[in-house]
Amino acid sequence: MTARIGFLVNPIAGMGGRVGLKGTDDVFDKAVELGAQPVAPKKAEEMLREFLTLSVKQSDLLWVTCDGDMGKKECEQAGITNIQVVYNPGGKITSAEDTKNACKILLKQNLDLLVFCGGDGTARDIFSIVGNNIPILGIPAGVKMHSGVFGVTTTTTAKILQEFIVKRLTIGDAEIMDLDEALYRKGEWKVRLYGVARGIVEPTYIQVGKASYESITDDEVKDELAEHVKDELEKYSDWLFLFCAGSTIEYIAKKLNIEHTLLGIDAVYQKKLVGKDVNEQQILTLLKQYPKTKLLLSPIGAQGFILGRGNLQLSPAVIRKIGVENIIVVATSSKLLHTPLLRVDTGDKNLDCLFAKQGYLMVVIGYRLSRVVKLQTNSY
Amino acid sequence: MTQITKRNPNKFLKDEFDELVKNHLEWNIRVLQSGSKPHSMIDGKEAIMLCSNNYLNLSNHPRLVKGAIEAAKKYGAGSGSVRAIAGTLQIHKEVEKRLAKFKRTESSLIYQTGFAANSGLIPQLVGEGDIVISDELNHGSIIDGVRLTKADRAIFKHRDVGDLERVLTDADKKYRRILIISDGVFSMDGDIAPMDKIVKLANEFGAMTYVDDAHGEGVIGEDGRGIGAHFHIEGKIDVEMGTFSKAFGVVGGLIAGSQDLVNFAYNKSRTWLLSGSHPPAVSGAQLAAIDVLETEPEHVKRLWENTRYFKKELSSMGFNTGNSETPITPVIVGDSGKAKELSNMLFDEGVFALPIVFPMVAKDKARIRTMMNAGLTKKDMDFALSKFETLGKKLSII
Repeated sequence: MTARIGFLVNPIAGMGGRVGLKGTDDVFDKAVELGAQPVAPKKAEEMLREFLTLSVKQSDLLWVTCDGDMGKKECEQAGITNIQVVYNPGGKITSAEDTKNACKILLKQNLDLLVFCGGDGTARDIFSIVGNNIPILGIPAGVKMHSGVFGVTTTTTAKILQEFIVKRLTIGDAEIMDLDEALYRKGEWKVRLYGVARGIVEPTYIQVGKASYESITDDEVKDELAEHVKDELEKYSDWLFLFCAGSTIEYIAKKLNIEHTLLGIDAVYQKKLVGKDVNEQQILTLLKQYPKTKLLLSPIGAQGFILGRGNLQLSPAVIRKIGVENIIVVATSSKLLHTPLLRVDTGDKNLDCLFAKQGYLMVVIGYRLSRVVKLQTNSY
Repeated sequence: MTQITKRNPNKFLKDEFDELVKNHLEWNIRVLQSGSKPHSMIDGKEAIMLCSNNYLNLSNHPRLVKGAIEAAKKYGAGSGSVRAIAGTLQIHKEVEKRLAKFKRTESSLIYQTGFAANSGLIPQLVGEGDIVISDELNHGSIIDGVRLTKADRAIFKHRDVGDLERVLTDADKKYRRILIISDGVFSMDGDIAPMDKIVKLANEFGAMTYVDDAHGEGVIGEDGRGIGAHFHIEGKIDVEMGTFSKAFGVVGGLIAGSQDLVNFAYNKSRTWLLSGSHPPAVSGAQLAAIDVLETEPEHVKRLWENTRYFKKELSSMGFNTGNSETPITPVIVGDSGKAKELSNMLFDEGVFALPIVFPMVAKDKARIRTMMNAGLTKKDMDFALSKFETLGKKLSII
């Protein structure tokens, strides 16, 4: 059966970076003025060339793409011939609207996967249209790439794509992260979690025989994590638990019948919700009421951040009050494969030092199963 | 009258098997028309055996065969009971006494299988409020044993003592008992756990040590005494677990350690308490295997000579044989498909060696796993090597 791969390039992505801008979304003209050169088309073509060297029968694939710089040109230059063009942007491509309009058409093309080339802004624009309907895979070419949908390099992206096509990789959750624009306009550079898309993940394997393994889905791993958290809630029955943002925590909460805010932080006491989507101030008030509190965290996005990206409510004051020792980090093995290193950037040097002193964190990766993972602070 | 049933209780059997077949994950069992010999008859075809665990070829040793026959003649075919009630024969006790002497430990206990030892003993050694710390590449039977405990679990990076220390440091504050478990020889790569360092670290933290030496027993250490002897730390590993089914050429699990350990183990291991004991013939062969190891050092010596020759020749042909320190020699091919293809071609040419592919090993490290046998002659090895060379070139591996 022919696999239908959507292919979308945001030709202006990444142009802001080289000239010192924090993105290209709204400042394209300025970037050009500063002498920015296109980045994404080259990266897209590079990925395709790499992909063509890997063992996939090209005739089993159909590339569904957009005209000109938005995909067709890159495909042709890389030597791909089985192309179907479904969208023509018409004129110069300079805005997020072009990406979104293309996605509206691509959404109807019965795609198995949408490969795009861009950065966090592009990922967010795509996600706003395709949502969870099509899994997406990003060729990294933007200024910001915090989202969990990107390959690390063009080479790894090509490899991921190949392994997805030969069905060795599977579909799982991938967070969409980007700058918080409102805060950015106030001069603060904070990354927010915008949603959870469908991405490509490595399955987790368990040994079933002497020399045989069975892959288990991410959801089965998360079931184990949920069991673990359930035990913890029972063990620490007089503690408050803060369920943080992200897809893993979301899944756990759902299993425990706790209504959870995917993008925010909820407070849970004795398995009941006592605070929904709480902000920093509300958390501090709760901490007065519940002096014993545990923080349930999971790395979100592509770079293994557990603090400092996507959960801005967890201010240094909040973390100090809770205590570093009361942080429970849970993660699926597939997530740790992508982010073998956890990162903390609380914005408070002294607090970061507390984490740095530890150097490592115990991370729960299954039911009552943990391992140490290296921790990096203030590195970004 | 047709009966309407609520559900078909057996439907899943076929469904799940069909699913395995569809994904090529079912076991295609090969049948040996001969015994497990250096030259075996496999599915009607004679082939050089490079994938048995019969490292010393003891399963065919006349003294073991004689030991089995004589024990059967003296004690009969079966033991009549579980060990705890009326199934402990004098010969079972003899094996345990001789084994402890061989392992240079205070005492030992025989289990029905190695799996029964791991899955029966581990859950008794730790419980609520304790932690088991495992090497990430430990064998499945350890993993299952650990699953049966109420203890928390943590893993450390493969053979990484630094990582183990980090886990121990964290665990030290939180837990009552700490149990460190590792394979002795890892069966995929043939590398050896740094048990000397692990024991040293465990002593600092007051942690118990448990080693599964299934692939080291009869192979490493003086006269094949196993990992304790290999590192000259006999009696210092709290639980040395092993098996009679590999180099010893018979079947049965074992633990060796203190008398306290053995007293505890046979009173608490449910697998030991609830399975019938070994037939006398098994014990007779086990006893003879220990005899042979103690009096005929040439088998271990030949195994290592063969191993060194085979590894050297493979390397000089240009094959990557990994970091093995034991008679398990991986021939790293890279791509999984290629490894399977090479294994099939080797079998067609009369060499039986299994492919080990992702996810058992890293994606780019698919391999043919060869296990040396002391009974192979130089001529046999040269035959196998020539096939590896021809096919390796044909598949552009070398």
